[in-house]
Amino acid sequence: MDDLVDDFIARRPSGLEKAYELWSRVFVGVARHSVSDRARAEDCVHDALIRVWRAPNRFQGNREMLKAYLIASVRNESFAMLRSQSRRDARELKAARLTPVETVDSIVDPVEAQRLQGALARLPEEQRKALALAYYGNKTHVEIAAELGVPLGTIKSRISMAMRKLQADLAGIGGSST
Amino acid sequence: MTEHLGEDAELYPLGILDDEAVRKVERHIALCSACAERVAQAQSVAASLAAALPAPAPSPALGRRLRDSIRPRPPAGILRASAFRFAVAAVIALALIGLSWQTLVLRGRLATEDLALVTMVHSHFNHVSMAPESANPVAAKILYARDGAWIYIIADKPGGPLHAIAKMATGRVDLGVLASAGETATLLFRPHERIRSIILRRAGTSVASATLAY
Ligand SMILES: [Zn+2]
Repeated sequence: MDDLVDDFIARRPSGLEKAYELWSRVFVGVARHSVSDRARAEDCVHDALIRVWRAPNRFQGNREMLKAYLIASVRNESFAMLRSQSRRDARELKAARLTPVETVDSIVDPVEAQRLQGALARLPEEQRKALALAYYGNKTHVEIAAELGVPLGTIKSRISMAMRKLQADLAGIGGSST
Repeated sequence: MTEHLGEDAELYPLGILDDEAVRKVERHIALCSACAERVAQAQSVAASLAAALPAPAPSPALGRRLRDSIRPRPPAGILRASAFRFAVAAVIALALIGLSWQTLVLRGRLATEDLALVTMVHSHFNHVSMAPESANPVAAKILYARDGAWIYIIADKPGGPLHAIAKMATGRVDLGVLASAGETATLLFRPHERIRSIILRRAGTSVASATLAY
């Protein structure tokens, strides 16, 4: 039904090429958020996409799910790269950012970003903080627990709750277009 | 099966789990569709979080690298062979077909032959002299890949347009007329199936033939 998804699952080169054409900016954006060095960030995008490409049977779903799956793979690769560097390097590469939506001018989709900002604002303060430290601050749940002086299990719960609330919120808004 | 993932399903697409936890999640979702669904939903939320990030344009080199990683090596890679390798290829090919290097240089054939010659030196190939088929035959040789991927016909002093016809398991295929330049005529062909024999015809008469052994 969807050529892109079909091609990707069948490991036809056009599947990955089309996905890259559509979403390369967000892939690179995600990678560079964890690894600010451009060449290393692009290494992460390359390695993540090729890894997924070589094991396409792990993916099932539609185009949006493929996009999310690829973004998650790039995120994982980049975060692992960040972790593998020294702590000093890591601090230099990226300091934690608690207010995520600052650079609206260069983002891919301002409407999507605004929607996200609204949904984040509706989260309980503790959950928003935990999620922001994890995703935008590039910190593990272990580090967040230590930083906030809160048990590890509590941080995991807050992040998990934040993600599930965001999902419901974004899906709800997405369903009622004007 | 181990117990369900729980909160790790949401932490996984954020990239913050350690290696061991990541492997556990991946093993589990390969077997448990409920948790796979939960992870997929978390992935879509994580993708939404990316919407707030700056999205710089990638360098053109990244797209090329990806294409190189997933596509088979393009023929352009063969053409990029250095002049030295080309010269070596040419010498080997010419020695095999029994014409001297100087002869072909003088005939100005080199420039048009580099694809054929460089292709040959990159693969294992056989060669065979074509047997005369008429009172006025043509001296010709065939070089061909051992895996049947290509054949290269070269005729000396063709004496008119030479038509090549190939016999395969499924029937005859007309390969067309050899390209003539000076005193030689050549044809490079990449068949879809193995060619068993070749006949050269001039003005409707068979002038040479050869059977290919693989
Ligand atoms: Zn499960």
